[in-house]
Formats: sequence, C-alpha cells, structure tokens
Amino acid sequence: MSVVRMQPVTAAAVALVLALPGFAQTPAPQSTPPPPATKAPAAAAPPPPSAAPAAAPASSPPAQAPRPAGAAAAPAQPGAAPATAPAAPAAAAPQAGQPAAQQQAAADQPPPKVDPKIFDEALKDYFDNKQEQAARKLYAFIESTPPTDENFAWAQYFLARCLIDLNLRHGGAVYLAKVAHERSNPQVLPKTLEALKVLTQVPHDEVLIDEQIFGSLDLGFLPDSVSDYANYQQGLVDLRVGNERWARTHFVKLDEEGVEASRAKFALLVTRLRNAKQVDDQMIDDFLELSKDQKLTQEARNEARLAVARLRYEKKDYEGALKAYDMVQLPSLDPGRATLYLEEAWTRYNLGQLRATIGLLTTLDAPSFRDEFLPDKYILRALVYRDLCQYLPAKRAAKELTRRFSDSLEAIRERDDLTQDFRLRRAANSHGSTRRTAKFLESLNLEGEQLGRHAGGFGERLYKHLQKVYDLAHAEAERLYQQRLQEAVREEADRLLRADEQVRLMEYEVGLKLYERVKRGAKLVQPEKQPALTSAQIAFKFTGEYWNDELRSYRVTIPSRCIEEGAQ
Amino acid sequence: MKRTLLLLVCLAPVLAHAQGEELENPGTVLAVQDRTYRMASELWIGIGVAPLDAFYKGVTGQVGYVYHFSDSFAWQVGRGLLSYNIKTGLRNQLETQFGVSPTAFPQLNWIVGSDVMWTPIYGKTSWLNSSVGHFEVFGTLGGSVVNERIAADVASGSGQTVFRPAIHLGLGARLFTSKNVSFRLDFSNEFVIYKGLEANILLVQLALALNFGGTE
Repeated sequence: MSVVRMQPVTAAAVALVLALPGFAQTPAPQSTPPPPATKAPAAAAPPPPSAAPAAAPASSPPAQAPRPAGAAAAPAQPGAAPATAPAAPAAAAPQAGQPAAQQQAAADQPPPKVDPKIFDEALKDYFDNKQEQAARKLYAFIESTPPTDENFAWAQYFLARCLIDLNLRHGGAVYLAKVAHERSNPQVLPKTLEALKVLTQVPHDEVLIDEQIFGSLDLGFLPDSVSDYANYQQGLVDLRVGNERWARTHFVKLDEEGVEASRAKFALLVTRLRNAKQVDDQMIDDFLELSKDQKLTQEARNEARLAVARLRYEKKDYEGALKAYDMVQLPSLDPGRATLYLEEAWTRYNLGQLRATIGLLTTLDAPSFRDEFLPDKYILRALVYRDLCQYLPAKRAAKELTRRFSDSLEAIRERDDLTQDFRLRRAANSHGSTRRTAKFLESLNLEGEQLGRHAGGFGERLYKHLQKVYDLAHAEAERLYQQRLQEAVREEADRLLRADEQVRLMEYEVGLKLYERVKRGAKLVQPEKQPALTSAQIAFKFTGEYWNDELRSYRVTIPSRCIEEGAQ
Repeated sequence: MKRTLLLLVCLAPVLAHAQGEELENPGTVLAVQDRTYRMASELWIGIGVAPLDAFYKGVTGQVGYVYHFSDSFAWQVGRGLLSYNIKTGLRNQLETQFGVSPTAFPQLNWIVGSDVMWTPIYGKTSWLNSSVGHFEVFGTLGGSVVNERIAADVASGSGQTVFRPAIHLGLGARLFTSKNVSFRLDFSNEFVIYKGLEANILLVQLALALNFGGTE
C-alpha cells in the first residue's frame, strides 16, 4: 500500500508536524539497543494523576470500528489490557472492504486509556525483537499519557527505535526530534541525539534534523559525543547565511583531534573560496594540508585534492594541477567521477598534451559515464581534433553535441518546462542539494511502501498517524525538491546553451579549415614521438570494451595532419 | 593493360573506404598499464600426478626455485620431484592371475632438473564482473635426470634403480593472488632417453609459488 501524497504544503506544515505527538523523523538504524535499565523507572512509575481526566473520554467504548488491540482491550479490562493487546493485531489492521469514512472515524476517535504497564510490555516486546507490537503499544501509551509522565520521553525514544528497526527511518526521526525538542527527560536526550547523528549519514530531512535540531540546540548541556557535531552543524548554518565570524565561535569549540574539526576547516575553506575574488597560495596550501588529514573521509580528502587542482588550474599552474589530480585516490575498480576526468582533460589540453586529452575523453565515453551531462566533452574533443588538423573528426565531434542534446535544446528554445526534460532533470539530480533532496524523496517513497506492509501489526491508530507523518513529509520534500530542481535545471540549461554556442562557432571555424586550399609543396609536420613502453608496462589494445581498472590508462596514437609553417 | 585497369577499378572503392575510415576515426587507442604483478625470485612447492603409466599412478611432490631475469624470461634453477607410486588394478591382475613377476614393472622414483622458462602471455580476466584477476602462461624447456626402479626384490624390499637422462617440456599457467603469492598449474612431459626414446613421463601438477623481491 502506498502512502497517499498530499498537495505541497508550506514550511509551516513541517512545524505543525513537529508539534503533533506522532510527527517525528526516525533516526538511522542502530544495532545496539538502549540499555534495559531504562525499564526500571517505567515499572516503578505510578500512573500520574493527570491521566485521570484523560480517562473519561477514553472510557466510553468506541464505535464498532476497528481499533488497535491494546486500545480496545484497555477499557474493558484495565488490568489485562497489555496481555490481550498482542492478540488482535489483525483485527486492528485496516480492512480493504471497510468504508473509508468508518476508518476515518475510527482514527479520529479520542485515544483510549491504557494501563501504564503497557509500557513495560512494549519494552519487553522491543527487546524480544517484536518491533511491530512494541510500536503499537508504545504509541498507545504515548497517546494516553501526558507528556509530563517520566516514561513519556522513553516511550517516544523506543517508538522511534522500533520504527527505525522496521526501516521507517523518517517516522523514527520525527519521534527522536520530538524528544530533542521537548527535552522533558535529560536521560533520554544523549541517546536521542546520538541516534539522530547516525541518521544524518543516510538521506534525511535536513531541515528537521540538521537545522531544527542540531542547528538550534542549546549547547550547554550536550554530552561530548554529540556536542562537537552540534557545534559543527550550527557553524555550518551560520556559514550558509554568511556569518563566518559566528561560525568561527562554534568551530573554535571543536575538539582539534575530532573529525568535525577537519570538516569545519573544509567548510570554512570552501566558503572562503566561494567569496574570494582572487585565489592566494595560502588557500591552496590549506586545502593541500586538508587533503592529507586522515580524520576526513576518503571522499572529503579527494574533494580537497580536487579543490587544490582547480585552484592551481585557475592560476594556470597546469603541472601543479595535474599533480593534484594524480593524488586523487579511488577505491579499487571504482570508475571515479566524470568531472575528475574532464577537468584533467582540460588541464592536459592546456599543457598541449593533445593525445593524452583524447585518452581521457575516451574514458568519458565509458558506460559508467554514459548518463553524465558533460557538454564540455564534445567541445574539448572538437578542439583537440582541430589542433591536430583532423577537421572531419572535429566537425563530427562538434555536431555530436547538438545531435545528442537535440531534445533538450529544443525544449529550451521552445521555453518548455525544463524539469520535464529527461537529460536536464538527470543532470540537475546528479549533484548538490537537489541530489540530496531527490534521495530523501526517494527514501520517503520507499518507506511509504514499507509502511503499508506493517499496517496490520501497527494497528489502525498508529498506522493512520504514520501515514499522516509520511504524507506531510512527502509533500514538503516534494515541494523543496521541485524548488531546487527548477533552479538546478536552469543552471544546466545555461551550461548547455553556452556549449551549443561554442560548438556552432567551432563548426564554422572547422568548416572554413576543411575547405582551405593546401599550398604547393606543403609538408605534414613531423609526427610526435610516442613514449615507448617500458619493461614494467603492459599494453592492451582498446577495442571498445571498457575495464574499470584501465580508465586512467588510455594512450592514443593519432597523427597530426597539420601543414608545416612556411610552406609555399 | 585492361587487366591492370580492371584491378584498379576494383581496388579503388576498398582504398577509398579505408581512407575514409581513417579520416573519420583517426588513431588507435591502447590501455597502457604498469604490470600489477612482477616475479623476481620464486620458490614453489607443488603436488601432482604421473597418470600415464598403465601399471602404476604416481602421486608426486615437487619443489623448485626460479629466477626471473625479466617479465618474460626466467631460469628454473632447480626442481626436484619425488613420486609415491600406487599399483593399478591391471598390474594387480597381471601379478595375481597371470603370474607376471613384480620385478617386470619399471617405475618412477624421483626426478631432478633445470629449465628455462618463457612467458609470452600476461593477461587479466574478470571474475563475475566484480574483480579482476591476473594470469600468465609460460612454457618450460630443460633437462632432467630421472631415477627409475627397474627391478625389485620383493622378498627383501630392495630394488635396482637406474638413472636416465630426459628432456623436459612443459606448459603452465599462473594465477596471481597477490604480489607475493600465486598458483601454478603445470603440464609437463619427461622424454626419457636411453638408446632412443625409452619412455614418456607425463606430469600434471598444481603448485603454490612464493615470490620474493618482486618490484611494485
């Protein structure tokens, strides 16, 4: 069963989601369950007096509409309620043939009062790996218990853990976020924040977790395990709005030996680079130093190396840029990134290494990069062929761009909705914030499907509630995605148009050269000497079959057809 | 004259096509890589079988040392083989039912020798499209001394042995698993020479090879 997608809502809807008891995002799955010691206070806690008024509406048995088992049993036999609870999960599941209005009515019923012992039973179920049952009981407990109850936060936390274990991460994150926002129980908070931190490693709601939780936490009370991360996130938020000075106040609190300190340095450098009008050597050195920082991930170190290469390229230090590209380390048999090869190809072209450039462009034709949006590739290939006076291939390479992107160019000229263009959309989705949002949206879709599978086990109330959570999250994620997509496709369209313009110029220039009269006595330039193979090298003739381990090794032999200068 | 003209007319489209192809797709592409695995000093130990003789099957153990001068040429400085022989059913039948003397069956005891090794093929292969394996194929040619038992005193357990010269010819493949460890599969034949070609001893062997001092 798929989650019903609602109309896009505004950010206010997200705030509303957070305000509701059941709206929280699930943290990333964690293998180690929280210590069972937390069960003790739950068992000992007497039912709070404030629960009494809540019992009144709940005590009247609901209509014959299906209800969560625990909830149904509670009014009849308060003492036996938890025991009977697991007996009827199927009855609680939404029936296919049931009228929608009846289901809605059931969901709108006030929550039934449940015995507080249901919390202990839920914990037992959780530790017995019965997450569905545990989640249903915990939700029943949360619904019928005031937030002042000392087990209320624990119930939210364990409900989140249940949902995460069932791969409903967003649902879990919403509950963790609630615990973090309400901070009603200081004992729960460290575990909650740690779980949320783990969640940030997978596609997640950035607004909810990064900005509204870690970006706005009161840092005074945080445990060491998450304070660095929170400081880092708050610094990032400041950097995004252009307050480097404020960001620094957070970053200076970071443990120098921690990974967040390195990431903060990287973020600061990137921000400075974005704002810098001129690149100085100090910035290059800083990035270089960062590229050797073992605390950073391999990907982040590679980013730093790429930054070094790009900065050197900007300063026309092409040899230096090549050295930086060589430093990029890829896992075994990893094809790498297309931009890496393209940038290196431009660098080699500027160094006059035309054949090496063609070698890298051959790499970019590999199936791994077939879907990449690289209009520059065609321009560069045409440029190389032109420089080798291979005018026919140059013209063909130039034409290839207009041929391959004809639909997209047509869509741009016709002022169509560019988000509907397959290539531009894919290009926009391949990087940056659009990519992250697309991934989050995709994960929401998957989790929405997963949710349907637990409809029976969760009972109607929890199921309906989670449906709402996912519907709202989906609507907001979709809105954000569309907004980012609009901007990103426009940028990609600009790139394509610029490339198209250059290609047309190239075609014109090559066309003129193609029909240029060759002077009498003209001689071809001396062919360039190719470096011979050393004894340590081995050569495999390329016949169109790409091997990932060869992608950086292509060597092209191509004659120049240029005429020697001074021919009469 | 007419023939020449006809030949030219026939060849012209072929030449034009070749030229057109060269104009449109100029150049050739090679994937040039550093050899991932290079051998230097190799010590190997292997087990195998001598399956050819109808009267016994030899289970062999062999060790050897190879010095690699280059990636394609090496000297197998020494190798030594010891054979544990198992009677076949045919021999049992001959001995028990037909009264053939046990001393009438010569069999292999051990072999020592030295060869040159030529490795013309080095390649790589894909395993389930998820990993790349490297291999090489080599040939060996050399000389051996074969020790055979040609007669046996069954009662005392002793026997008479002879030494025979032999020409060793082999073909093998090596699969690299790391810079220092590889596995060899060898097929070789000892052409035992004594007053002409006396016998063939075919050997099939699987060996573990350890490489020392190979360059990165």
